[in-house]
Amino acid sequence: MLRKVNDDLEQVLRCAIQLAKGRGSGLVTVDDLLLACLGVSSRFGISQIGEWPIDLDSFGWPWRERRDPGRSNTSYSDGVVLLLEQAARIASAEVPGGPPTPLHVLACFAEHREGLMQALAERYGIDSFRWRAALARMGSESAPRSETAPSGPPQFLTPDQAAVWLGVHIQTLRGYIRSGKLPAFRIAGERALRIRSSDLAALLEPFQPAESDE
Amino acid sequence: MPLFVVHRELPGITPDALTGAGLRAKTCCAEISAEGRSVRWVRSFFLPETSQTHCYFEAGDAQVVEEANRRANIPFTKVTEVVEMTPEAA
Repeated sequence: MLRKVNDDLEQVLRCAIQLAKGRGSGLVTVDDLLLACLGVSSRFGISQIGEWPIDLDSFGWPWRERRDPGRSNTSYSDGVVLLLEQAARIASAEVPGGPPTPLHVLACFAEHREGLMQALAERYGIDSFRWRAALARMGSESAPRSETAPSGPPQFLTPDQAAVWLGVHIQTLRGYIRSGKLPAFRIAGERALRIRSSDLAALLEPFQPAESDE
Repeated sequence: MPLFVVHRELPGITPDALTGAGLRAKTCCAEISAEGRSVRWVRSFFLPETSQTHCYFEAGDAQVVEEANRRANIPFTKVTEVVEMTPEAA
């Protein structure tokens, strides 16, 4: 059975179609998808991703416009097809069977170095690691609460999933656990380790450009 | 409203790719419906042994179903009208 998809991502994909139509294009590109993800999470034209306040108006794209439906044959590009598959793969690695969300789509752009993402990286000094870390923090902050448990179950990751999210080798992550740098939990009576996503996000600290080790 | 089946052969398709395809199918159907031509993705069946999928769409005609799948960039071999039978209706 296909996994339930996130409603926010459906909204993003429809917004991406509108952006392509706004450009007069018959093809929805990955740039449309990136702008749509940033647009749906924006306020007053600013999409706050971690430490970066991304000014959507500065790129000259008509992202605010809502086109009348009209007739058009705007279709998704091959790039968008591949990117959605990648987002679904990342979502599955985080929570088996979990639906992809706009955050997972944004995570796919971490290594992207062309088009709009390249322009963002140059203007804001975005690097892959901090981009993914910022998204990880956003994900843990907006984790859905269960209706039956008001305090909400914490999100736990396996060491492999945690290593993927941090972008480090699994042995590096195990080193963080051994040194006490990263708290970990053991399932009672079992060998399996679990890492709380908020502990993972707490491992990161904001980068100060004046630091001499850069 | 008539029901159509979209035949696909997708060798090597992954569950993650199918998730993306379902998402695109839903949004393209919503777009075309907003344009005034009703089309809805009802259900799909994936046959893991043969990598075939059968996707059922509800629409006025086969052409709008084909258009929805082209816009969604999901390859297909053919679209044919079907008649649904269920135990409740028998």
